[in-house]
Amino acid sequence: MTIGLTHYLLLAAVLFAIGMFGVLSKRNIIAILMGIELMLNAVNINLIAFNRFLPVHDLSGQLMALFAIAVGVAEVAVGIALAFRIFYDRETINVDELNRMKG
Amino acid sequence: MNDLIGSAVFCVLSLVIIGTALGVVMSRNLVHSALLMTACFIGVGIMYISLEADFLGAVEFMTYSGGVAVLIVMGVMLTHKGNGVPSNPFNGRELFAAALAVIFTAVMGLVLTFVQMPPDTGFVSADTVGDLADMMLNTYILPFEIAAVLLLAALLGAVILAKGDGEA
Repeated sequence: MTIGLTHYLLLAAVLFAIGMFGVLSKRNIIAILMGIELMLNAVNINLIAFNRFLPVHDLSGQLMALFAIAVGVAEVAVGIALAFRIFYDRETINVDELNRMKG
Repeated sequence: MNDLIGSAVFCVLSLVIIGTALGVVMSRNLVHSALLMTACFIGVGIMYISLEADFLGAVEFMTYSGGVAVLIVMGVMLTHKGNGVPSNPFNGRELFAAALAVIFTAVMGLVLTFVQMPPDTGFVSADTVGDLADMMLNTYILPFEIAAVLLLAALLGAVILAKGDGEA
């Protein structure tokens, strides 16, 4: 049996679901960022698999994945800086305790 | 024979990726999560290379398993109190989250069984670096410049956020 687009899409869906589970079920901001990274990688696997298996004429899927990687890395840098700031200000990075705006 | 090798590579890589990703979200220790995340990114990079995207595989190794992993480990070290409590606890909603993830995977699998996939006629480039450079600096020059501005803004924003407005 040959490996086709379906297999890659299924793998990416499972990876996205695992990342989503991490984002929804963790208390630590940095663990939530890790879940977001897993989801971003799942999306990139999709883009590259589309470029490899769908009838296209150039590398636009790979270029899109490249831009997604750049945006994802910038997001991680800002996210970690935010986590530092919150930790210095509040002495915690537990998102359940960050409820100052709670009505 | 070639098909067999391709299937074996895909199976091993998916086992590595899914296993390490599960380890990232299940581990009680944040440092273990960070290390497993690096392993997961290395697996994803090898999968890019097996999809004929060798330049993106190299980019994945450098940015994700290099840069992002170092950033995350630094974040773990600087925000860890080390008072014996588990550093990566669940927030009590993990049953709902697991149910949502399972439902998402099931719906995606169901959709994939209904969709008629086109025959494998993708584009395979012999020189991914050259082709990507041609596209990036000709057709897609505007998104390229916007990405440059975005990276600069993210860099400045991260410095200001981490150091504070007055000290920077």
